[in-house]
Amino acid sequence: MPSIIVNGVEIEQDEDGFIQNPELWNEEVAKALAKQEGIEELTEEHWKVVNYLRNYYLQFQIAPMIRKLCKETGFSLKKIYELFPSGPAKGACKVAGLPKPTGCV
Amino acid sequence: MEQVVAAKLDPTFLDEVVSKFRTDKNPADLYNCLACGMCSAGCPFNGVHDNADPRKFIRQVVLGMREEVLSSVFIWACTMCGRCTMQCPMNVDVAGMVRTVRGNFGLRAPGFLQDVVDAQIRTGNQMEVTTEEYLETLEWMEEELQQEVGDPNAKIPVDKEGAQYLFMWDPREIKYYPQDVQSIAKIMWAAGADWTVSSRHWDATHYALFSGDDEASTIMVRRTMEEFERLKVKEVIITECGHAVRAQRWGRKVWLGADYPVRSFLQLMAEWIKEGRIKLDPTKNPERVTFHDPCNLVRKEGIVEEPRYCLKNAVMDFVEMWPNREYNYCCGGGGGLLAMGKEIYPYRMAKGKLKAEQIKATGAKIVVTPCHNCYDQLTDIIKYYKLDCKVRHVHHLVSNALILPGSKEREA
Repeated sequence: MPSIIVNGVEIEQDEDGFIQNPELWNEEVAKALAKQEGIEELTEEHWKVVNYLRNYYLQFQIAPMIRKLCKETGFSLKKIYELFPSGPAKGACKVAGLPKPTGCV
Repeated sequence: MEQVVAAKLDPTFLDEVVSKFRTDKNPADLYNCLACGMCSAGCPFNGVHDNADPRKFIRQVVLGMREEVLSSVFIWACTMCGRCTMQCPMNVDVAGMVRTVRGNFGLRAPGFLQDVVDAQIRTGNQMEVTTEEYLETLEWMEEELQQEVGDPNAKIPVDKEGAQYLFMWDPREIKYYPQDVQSIAKIMWAAGADWTVSSRHWDATHYALFSGDDEASTIMVRRTMEEFERLKVKEVIITECGHAVRAQRWGRKVWLGADYPVRSFLQLMAEWIKEGRIKLDPTKNPERVTFHDPCNLVRKEGIVEEPRYCLKNAVMDFVEMWPNREYNYCCGGGGGLLAMGKEIYPYRMAKGKLKAEQIKATGAKIVVTPCHNCYDQLTDIIKYYKLDCKVRHVHHLVSNALILPGSKEREA
């Protein structure tokens, strides 16, 4: 299974590239995950999405509805896809260090 | 060659499997196996990876090799695609036998399959979306749709009693892919459909079909029947999801003995195109498109030509992969394998090689499939085998090609 090494720490990933232990997430890890998604640089707009997802997850242990994500960041769904081409679930949530959501995702 | 220890054989095992087998046919057909091996010839994955030999599985069950069967990788690595079952000259439902063994002998599925079943039983939908969140998303997409088509009367009617169609979702459309809600609602609007969605039980999916848990299955499918009765609709329409269509159609007969009308949204779209009720401009979809047949929808439920009819009217360049229709290969993600985590992942990718080769041979830039499980597996395969191709549902291309009512083109 894949893993990434960030600052000497090995971060395990599941078969879809989601990190296994959300506690090991930090900004450097986010950058490394973004690279795997084909996002070379995380802009301010990327961070707005990533930070919102991260904070929501820490509070509720689940990913927010896309409705909330768009409302709170002020981005349209189209914009989210521009920022994260794999989409909010498989792209943005992954970079934000959320574990893979269970269910038909 | 493995040794079979006669003293360890349990002659009651096959009887037990037969007694627990839920089917709309004759359960005793499981006794019919002649050991001919047509099932293994039919299995696309026999020889592609280990633990893919349906004949071995059946013979183990017949011989009473209880322990070997219950601890086998085969029962989880099998996608229950039913290609073996279709080939059997003696009506042995091998896929049904796999499901029966999975769910009736105290086993726990690998990965998070069981969690998905539990979440759906507990909260009413597999993604634990609250009613408030669900309704908010519908309202949001209704507003987006009204803007898109410029009609304030474009609606997603909730709990409308007496509507013709009750539409049921895959929860991921609500939670992660709300643009799908808009796309489907756009087609409903263009057709002038009298439709509704339930605020209570709206999840069409059914992971108990994969785990083999008949008790959970009965609860799930009963919820649909209750909404059908409560809302006094004429017909239940299932979103583009293979296993959901199977569970809602076949399942209502098996677990409830009921026969209220249930169809796939594909059948409705095909009907509307044929009647001229919706009009399409295929030049909106100029890229080459191929179609992947979901096993549950096509091989098992016989919905074969409708998606093709939709695509032929919605795109410029449609090509079949080979083999196709009921002979098509499973994508490798069915049977709940996508929810079985790391352990099963290598099998999933090994299976996917066949599909990758099929897609590649078509030269298509878009592979369409009316199933969310296949959708994810195909996305994974495309990445893994580095294909230059994207995945879409049928409704994506239909809604993209729609000639909107009231437009100049439509009146012409």
